Amino acid sequence: MLSVPYTRATLDNGLDVIVHEDHRMPLVAVNVWYHVGSKNEQPGRTGLAHLFEHLMFEGSAHQPDGYFGPLQEAGAALNGSTSPDRTNYWQLVPAGALRLALWMEADRMGWLLPALTQARLDTQRGVVLNERRQSYENRPYGLASFTLMSAMFPPSHPYHWPTIGEPADLEAATLEDVQAFFARYYHPGNASLVIAGDVETRAVLREVEELYGGIPAGEPVLPVETPEAASAPRRLVMEDRVELARLYLAWPSPPLFGADDAELDLVSDLLANGRTSRLYSRLIHERRVAVELAAGQTSRELGGTFQIIASAAPGQTLETLEAAIHDEVARFATDGPTDDEVERGRAQAETAFVYRVQALGGFGGKADQLNAYHTYRGEPDAFQVDLDRYLSATRASLREAAARWLAPGRATRLAVMPAGTIETAPGDAERVEGGRA
Amino acid sequence: MSARFTRPGAGTPVPVRFPRIVREALDNGLRIWTIPYGAIPVATTTLVIARGTGDDPADRHGLASLTGDLLDEGAGDLDAIGVAEAFARLGTHLDIDVGPDAMTMSSAGLARQIERTLELLASVVRQPRLEAADFARIRELRVNRLRQLSRSAGTVADRAYVSAVFGDHAYGHGALGTTRALEATTVDDVRGFWAGHIGPAVATLIVVGDVVAVDVAAAARRVFDAWDATIGSSRIDRPVVAPDRRIHLVDRPGAAQSELRIGHLAPGRSTEDYHALVVLNAVLGGQFTSRINRRLREEQGITYGAHTSFDFRRAAGSFACETSVQSDATAGAVRDVIAELGRMREAAIAPEELAAASASLTRGYVRNFETAGQVARAATQLAVHGLPDDTFDRFVPAIEAIGADQVLDVARRHIRPDEATVVVVGDATVTAEALTAIDRPLQASAPEF
Repeated sequence: MLSVPYTRATLDNGLDVIVHEDHRMPLVAVNVWYHVGSKNEQPGRTGLAHLFEHLMFEGSAHQPDGYFGPLQEAGAALNGSTSPDRTNYWQLVPAGALRLALWMEADRMGWLLPALTQARLDTQRGVVLNERRQSYENRPYGLASFTLMSAMFPPSHPYHWPTIGEPADLEAATLEDVQAFFARYYHPGNASLVIAGDVETRAVLREVEELYGGIPAGEPVLPVETPEAASAPRRLVMEDRVELARLYLAWPSPPLFGADDAELDLVSDLLANGRTSRLYSRLIHERRVAVELAAGQTSRELGGTFQIIASAAPGQTLETLEAAIHDEVARFATDGPTDDEVERGRAQAETAFVYRVQALGGFGGKADQLNAYHTYRGEPDAFQVDLDRYLSATRASLREAAARWLAPGRATRLAVMPAGTIETAPGDAERVEGGRA
Repeated sequence: MSARFTRPGAGTPVPVRFPRIVREALDNGLRIWTIPYGAIPVATTTLVIARGTGDDPADRHGLASLTGDLLDEGAGDLDAIGVAEAFARLGTHLDIDVGPDAMTMSSAGLARQIERTLELLASVVRQPRLEAADFARIRELRVNRLRQLSRSAGTVADRAYVSAVFGDHAYGHGALGTTRALEATTVDDVRGFWAGHIGPAVATLIVVGDVVAVDVAAAARRVFDAWDATIGSSRIDRPVVAPDRRIHLVDRPGAAQSELRIGHLAPGRSTEDYHALVVLNAVLGGQFTSRINRRLREEQGITYGAHTSFDFRRAAGSFACETSVQSDATAGAVRDVIAELGRMREAAIAPEELAAASASLTRGYVRNFETAGQVARAATQLAVHGLPDDTFDRFVPAIEAIGADQVLDVARRHIRPDEATVVVVGDATVTAEALTAIDRPLQASAPEF
């Protein structure tokens, strides 16, 4: 039974505080989630949530010289990240530096703007444009995921645009934009603070009240509206500076913790992840028509996508791969998995969950997961409940999930072709460029 | 200013004690290290073989890592898929990583599965099938992998850098080898590498986790006691390579950025200067607040990040600054990095800068030993480099003892901007002209894949 006991309190200004004691090591994880991500942006100002995350590390009113220095000197590891749904910040510190970490987070939650200058915005705008180049534009197949998401979600849906943002929007962001973004989304009522590790709960709660209690409350953030109609499936092709043609198939799928979410996660492993998967056996091991395979159920607050990705062996066409994948998915949706496959899926889920309660801090550490469960489910200790979704999956439930969601007619297809070979691409596709469908 | 707005201090440092290693050895030479650690029912199993890509024959680059790939493609009664399924039934999988000095096979699983994990691991190293059909299939995948990687700017830069710095030395090539070498490689080469390099005399089994209830050594003895292999010697000399101070420009038309590597040879892990070099690196480029990242990212915004590192190998090492910068800033970034290397040699670092670097290394050291996987990786370093058990316990006092004069001394001996190789993987039409203005020979290069 996985259990991560905690104490939760809410300050008068709306800040949720969750404390988990774990005295195995003299370490403490401090983890803050702001329930804002690129889904809260407007077309024309995409990338603002992530650009803002960068500015959170540049200094605040009472520590104007930047966020990293004092914490690194105290032995901390620290970072942050932005997704479509949320922005998180964490530091893992030796137990003695807890108060410093709490103070630093409080200062930027309450008093960021006096230190946020035009010069800092301009520098971080440059950094973010370079992050976009390094992580996407200069990487093989780097724009494929942008292209797919813009095709899967209509322009009025907030998952239509990439979290890193469109370059023109990043260039256009003003100091007033980021100040307004702070006022609207960066206040205690839209945040939750987790402290996990070698701490004493009552003392920490007192310290948090002292450091965060004076931060003014803000206006509640309303849920993001999404359009009723989903995009119709499309067939797309793009060129890239790559060696091998690659096929992306993407189906609309359930949101995070929605019905069939965990089942589809298991289905993705059984179909296409690792050497034990069906598509590996069929396409790479036996027929040798593919050389790389991956699959995943990416589930978010407002919806999900199920993807299968395969790179063609030299001389093989993407039509061959596409037909074989649909064939294998259909067989799964008809016959379901074997008992052995279900058992392996359960065993791997159990191991993964036990490993997830090892580390206190960092991305995906215990503190980060407590905050995720709190934010998305309202219950920080949902570890066992989450695992039970996987352990309760059966041959029938996995077969039904595949049948319900993964019909060939629902899939959007993207073919990425080596530059100069687009004439050999599947003939029924619309050509797209620049990461936009 | 009220007390609430005064930044608190860093608090009292916490001591670091590396967990105790329970050591046993079998008659065949296999070392068995058990490290009971943590209250969570996991166990990380690692088999370290002290042979790696440095043992690749000169005309068979990639052989060690190809052998690693093939070991678990069928072993004992199980075929290739069968081995993977057997690990999957335990809720885990086997990772095989081949580095310059060692091959590590590791499986992160639950403690209750440890005996079965050891059985499978023993089968993989003792009875790999190494069949011709599997060899042909895996080699074909490897050749296609190399094709794919030839388009990855970072991999291209790493290849160009390592071959410029180490030249023909055993460390002067990437683990995956080249298509040419792989095409010359036969299944008998793989069988020969397995028979001649993978055996108990050069192996250390490291099990970390909640293993109090299991007699790991007895379980290991059952499956490894009859492991019998005569291992040939491995000899990797210190490289004697003339410095290559050229700028190697690898043209990547249309590239969105320039990927840079700037550096040169450096000492191996056994150097007496180790701790001083760790402090030096923290000041220069090892951290977010280090000099080079501040200059390129936080002052100019021309990169997502820039960092430096020493790659401490057994026989020698290398030092490099790695970054990826916007194309129009390429030559400026090269100049800035070289200037920062030079600045380390000109004057002793200020007391505050030394104190900050030292504190971050010592106060944060405890974070390296939180999980079973981290402890296993640390113990692997002990095995690969033959370091004493108290290596990690001695780290904090050793770093605290380093003064600014020592950092200056090691900078003058081990940081040599005049001898540094510069690799630029980027769009030549945008970068070449400005690069020619730097006082170094400009060489068009194309690393072999």
